[in-house]
Amino acid sequence: MEKEKTLIKVKNMERHYKSGKGIVKALDNVSFEIKKGEFVAVMGASGSGKTTMLRILGLMDFQTKGEYSVQGLNVEELPEGERTYYRLTQLGYVFQDYALMNEMSALENVYILSLMEGKSKKESIATAQEALDKVNLGDKGNRIPNELSGGEKQRVAIARAIAKKPAILFADEPCANLDTHTSEQVLEVFKTLNKKFGQTIVMVTHESWHTKYVSRLIKLKDGKIISDKKLRG
Amino acid sequence: MLNDIKVGLLSATSSIKRGNKKTLGFIVFVLALIFMNLVFLPSMIGGVSGMFTAFMQYPYGDIVVEPSGDNTYINNADNVLQKLRAVPDVKAATKRLDVGASIKYKQKVVGSTITGLLPSEEYDVSNYPNIIKEGEFLSDLSRDEIIIGAMLVEGNFGSEIYDNLGGVRVGSFVNVTYSNKVTRTYKVKGIMEGTFELIDLNALVHYKEIEDVFDIDGSKATSVVIRLKSNSDSAKVKEKIIGAGVKEPVSTSDEKSDAILRQAMQSIDMINVVSNFVSLIVGAALILIIIYINVLNRKKEIGILKAIGITPSSIVFSYAFISMFYVSMGILAGLGLYFFLMYYFTVNPITFYDTITIFPEIQVDLIIRSIFTMLIMSVIAGILPAWRVSKQSILEAIWGR
Repeated sequence: MEKEKTLIKVKNMERHYKSGKGIVKALDNVSFEIKKGEFVAVMGASGSGKTTMLRILGLMDFQTKGEYSVQGLNVEELPEGERTYYRLTQLGYVFQDYALMNEMSALENVYILSLMEGKSKKESIATAQEALDKVNLGDKGNRIPNELSGGEKQRVAIARAIAKKPAILFADEPCANLDTHTSEQVLEVFKTLNKKFGQTIVMVTHESWHTKYVSRLIKLKDGKIISDKKLRG
Repeated sequence: MLNDIKVGLLSATSSIKRGNKKTLGFIVFVLALIFMNLVFLPSMIGGVSGMFTAFMQYPYGDIVVEPSGDNTYINNADNVLQKLRAVPDVKAATKRLDVGASIKYKQKVVGSTITGLLPSEEYDVSNYPNIIKEGEFLSDLSRDEIIIGAMLVEGNFGSEIYDNLGGVRVGSFVNVTYSNKVTRTYKVKGIMEGTFELIDLNALVHYKEIEDVFDIDGSKATSVVIRLKSNSDSAKVKEKIIGAGVKEPVSTSDEKSDAILRQAMQSIDMINVVSNFVSLIVGAALILIIIYINVLNRKKEIGILKAIGITPSSIVFSYAFISMFYVSMGILAGLGLYFFLMYYFTVNPITFYDTITIFPEIQVDLIIRSIFTMLIMSVIAGILPAWRVSKQSILEAIWGR
């Protein structure tokens, strides 16, 4: 029953951008729900609105119209400070280009968020180490990003995102800069997190073969949902 | 707030620990020079000021009592001396009579101030007995003898600038015509050199001589000069002297030198202020540019940090810490450089006319003030660019706009 709990509820969401004299609808009347424990892939061609949607879902941007709630909370009404805190404690992010701090070690990159949450340094390091172990990088905590391969960097980024045990993990084309073999490794990590730990994941991708790892696929075209179906996962 | 500081520290520490060491070295070097500029020039000016203050000891001792209002004399100087000697911090005091006169040697005549003093008392009060370049200082029996300043003697320090008495030497006889037209002949007993006009253009005779010449009685004086016990605070003793019932104006030598040097020092101080201001602006601009470039290069990173839940305050703290670290290192290096130069100029003081030496003066309060100024400047210069970027929207920062 717990697994069926709705985490994300989007209703008639629109996002408009000014373009020259006109307005472009990056998202057009989008509605869907995501339940706890789902591994959702959002696919679509470039400009279909998938990254725009992920940014709004991740509280980095605002919708122009429509409603959006996370865990029953109307997040658009939250003041910036609370949105920041919500991002910190409830949402995890994995970016296309890793987005690691180059001057911090892998361990520091992961435990900085726990420190921000108010945990002690010792506790934060223990949590970070646990997260790095989950992505099979437990022995590379002292390495800085430049000493890691692309796949390892992305796994550090995943460890950073999951260390705080977020309600939802967002991933924006996490394999875009990786070769097929490394992409598989990263997707396996996501799959394990989803299957073993029940982690809810929303992943933007444009590779159709990635869908074999997910439990649901939402397809976007010109800012509209053109299909939304459950997969074997 | 504590979490912001902890995260800011972690970010700053990593940045410093793993950042480019050559760049760090260059920044620290430039900041050290800026700090040096803030403290070095004032220390040299302080040395000049200290030198002049030391000269003020000759006419004024540590504290001087002078006639009140338009009076020429302190009327009962012995009574004043009695009160002064009862003040615990007063080591010694003596009375003097300063008068105008012309001194003639052969065909040469120069105008001078002649100070009548009590020779045996001067040993405890002034430095006159210690600056006799040739001959000897006066004794209590020296009624027909005179000490002349070195500038009055041809070939000595400063004698080329002012009129002098030509080849007068120890043992020569000079005629002194006082302002009341009385002329006396004195044998030159000694030549004094303090390398300062107020001393070296003057002459000294026995106090009784002036009393006789001007027919003064009742222990009059144009000044009563006081020497304090070591470690006494002249400003506090001055208050005690006034409290002891001395009615005439009382001044410390600092006040006298300040009055005399104020105009000159004000001009130098103005140069100093401008120089310090420019240094601070350059320093602030340097830190601002460094942090700004750093922030620009890391704009996307800052945006991502915000996206994953790092607060803007943590980001600002991080840059403030980095900036403070740069400046602290600059201050430390600058202090090293400063003390090295202070040592160098103490061992090899700047010398004018072969006789005037200027020793730098280490001013602790100035150093502390400069450190605080630099640190405050670093915080402002570090925070401003980081604050601007941290206030941007996440997407704008990530897109590098």
